[in-house]
Amino acid sequence: MAMLKTTTGAADGERLAPAARRQAVKRLQATFRRHDLLLYMAFFAICIIVPMLPFFKGWMASQASLVIIYIVAAIGISILTGYTGLVSVGHGGFLAVGAYTSALLTKYFAVDLAVGLVAGAIMSAFIGFLLGAIFLRLSGAFMAIGTLGFAFFVGTVVNNVPIFEGRDGISLSANYFFGSKIGDFGFYYVSLGVLALTTLFTYAIVNSGVGRAFMALRDSEKAAEASGVNRVNYRIIAFTISAAITGLAGVLNAHIVNYISAEVYGDIWYSVDILVAAIVGGSAMLAGPYIGGIFVVMVPFFFETLADFSSILKGVVLILVLMFAPAGVAELLGRPLRRYRERQVMEAAGKSFSKAPSAGAGTTSEAAR
Amino acid sequence: MRGTNIGRLTVLGQQILSGLATGSLYALTAIAVVVVFRNTRTINLAQGDFAMIGAFLGVVFLKDWGLNYYATIALVVACCMLLGIIVERFVMRPIADSDWLTLFTATLGVYYILHGLAGWIWGRDTKAFPVTFDPTPVDIMGAVISKGHLFNVAWALAIGIAIYIFLKHTRQGIAMRAVTDDPDTAQLMGIPVRRIVMLTWALAGLLAGFVGVLIAPILYVSPQMMDDVLVKGYVAAVFGGLYSIPGAVLGALMIGVAENLAGGYLGSHFKTATAFAMIVVLLAFRPQGLIGIQKRREI
Repeated sequence: MAMLKTTTGAADGERLAPAARRQAVKRLQATFRRHDLLLYMAFFAICIIVPMLPFFKGWMASQASLVIIYIVAAIGISILTGYTGLVSVGHGGFLAVGAYTSALLTKYFAVDLAVGLVAGAIMSAFIGFLLGAIFLRLSGAFMAIGTLGFAFFVGTVVNNVPIFEGRDGISLSANYFFGSKIGDFGFYYVSLGVLALTTLFTYAIVNSGVGRAFMALRDSEKAAEASGVNRVNYRIIAFTISAAITGLAGVLNAHIVNYISAEVYGDIWYSVDILVAAIVGGSAMLAGPYIGGIFVVMVPFFFETLADFSSILKGVVLILVLMFAPAGVAELLGRPLRRYRERQVMEAAGKSFSKAPSAGAGTTSEAAR
Repeated sequence: MRGTNIGRLTVLGQQILSGLATGSLYALTAIAVVVVFRNTRTINLAQGDFAMIGAFLGVVFLKDWGLNYYATIALVVACCMLLGIIVERFVMRPIADSDWLTLFTATLGVYYILHGLAGWIWGRDTKAFPVTFDPTPVDIMGAVISKGHLFNVAWALAIGIAIYIFLKHTRQGIAMRAVTDDPDTAQLMGIPVRRIVMLTWALAGLLAGFVGVLIAPILYVSPQMMDDVLVKGYVAAVFGGLYSIPGAVLGALMIGVAENLAGGYLGSHFKTATAFAMIVVLLAFRPQGLIGIQKRREI
């Protein structure tokens, strides 16, 4: 972006004034980033404080943990689907890998939840790495089918290989985190910590050279390759990171109820739900998975007695979102704020500087699709 | 010694035959996936659910309405075609110009809705299909196949031939292939592309209706009955590079035979994993499909 601006500025032949404007635009963008950061910090502060209030019961903490699990899983898939443009319909597979890794370690070696999280993420990352390498040449629809096959494969394995104990499932004892026993609230705070770290990590990745390479591949593989982006490497990196994050969610998902069985992991529902969370929220925005995760968990929660109705509602909302806000609900809700910021950037850049608005808009909003 | 060898061969023949029988039902699903994909760029995740709805309707028509089997088939197929048309008109057409991910996700929405509807109306429990699968053995050159399987193969074959004739020799079928090759040119040639797209979805519904009624006696009827079959249909479709119908049929038959052999010789655990192992190997080494059709118009 910056390069583009410099060249246009030089072409205009007015070096000083555009330089000052560029400074102003940069300052403004830094301010916006600070505001975003404050917003996230405020959100997490609220998440930390609210459970301490007297009305907050243990089951609410569990429910909130479940929401967080889906958000983390959706962040995982958004790295692949939103930022790199590789659609996965098989992230339930990574969820299962994380869940079973940690569950088996806990059962046979009684490891700490912290160890389980790390091990689950590493194992899932490894599988993600392999899958990325296997599906190197796939794109679009073929990738979707391939990943769907992966999810079914994992489902078949956990259903049939004896160590995973199939439909009988694996029951786990209470959770220990760094040696101390944790209940619903403790688990909630652990999940919140995982979410915060994941979000931070994703933010760092997306705003780094790696993230820009991802997005370049998403927008045009050929152009990206022509500019020196190594397609093979970055695809595998995206797969690995995405799998690791979803694996983390899987570990939490196993320990939230201390029980896992092939009954749920053998199905594609997790895969589908994670994808829907990312797409409804908006997979190419940091805030998207938050909204998507809340949606996917809270709809069945409110219609608990009407499981089928909640399924219908999810489908209808999904289709409506695709029709009216294809970039996701987060993009729709954030639109006024982004418009306001774009206008400010435009003013700071000056009206004669016609290239600035689009360039500025590109850097302030990650929602470009 | 000699006797056992012949016995083994017969078992092998039987495994292959019943594999072909299951494969022919996968083939019908795979054809529908291919036809919809190449005309609308849509990977239709709801294809299996069309068939699922068809199976439930079959139960209603047979049990509650007391219709006979063939009237039921006709009615179920008509209803599934209508379902396909409704989905096209109210879900897919408004977003027809979107990228393929949006189209795909929309069918995911349809998948949710149909699953929910079926569960809401008919319940989540499995139901037995009133017409039972006929296990009476029929002898074909030494290998024995059940009558029910033979019946399914005959149906699948008839439908396959009908579709072949439709696509090769009727005005609508030729128009459909023209849309496959290039929708813009087809439009310029005066082909009503919209109507052809609607016809495509109707065709998908028709195939789903047959699959639903034919597979119901084997699988039991429940909202998630088709999930497995659908994925195998996809895998088969990929064998034809998502474009070629013969490739998809070949793939479907191969999957049917391979999983039956794996189930027979390695143990039933391996049965379901076979298709996915095949897809992983295929996609890793020949992403363009087994039948080497190049993906056209892909940028």
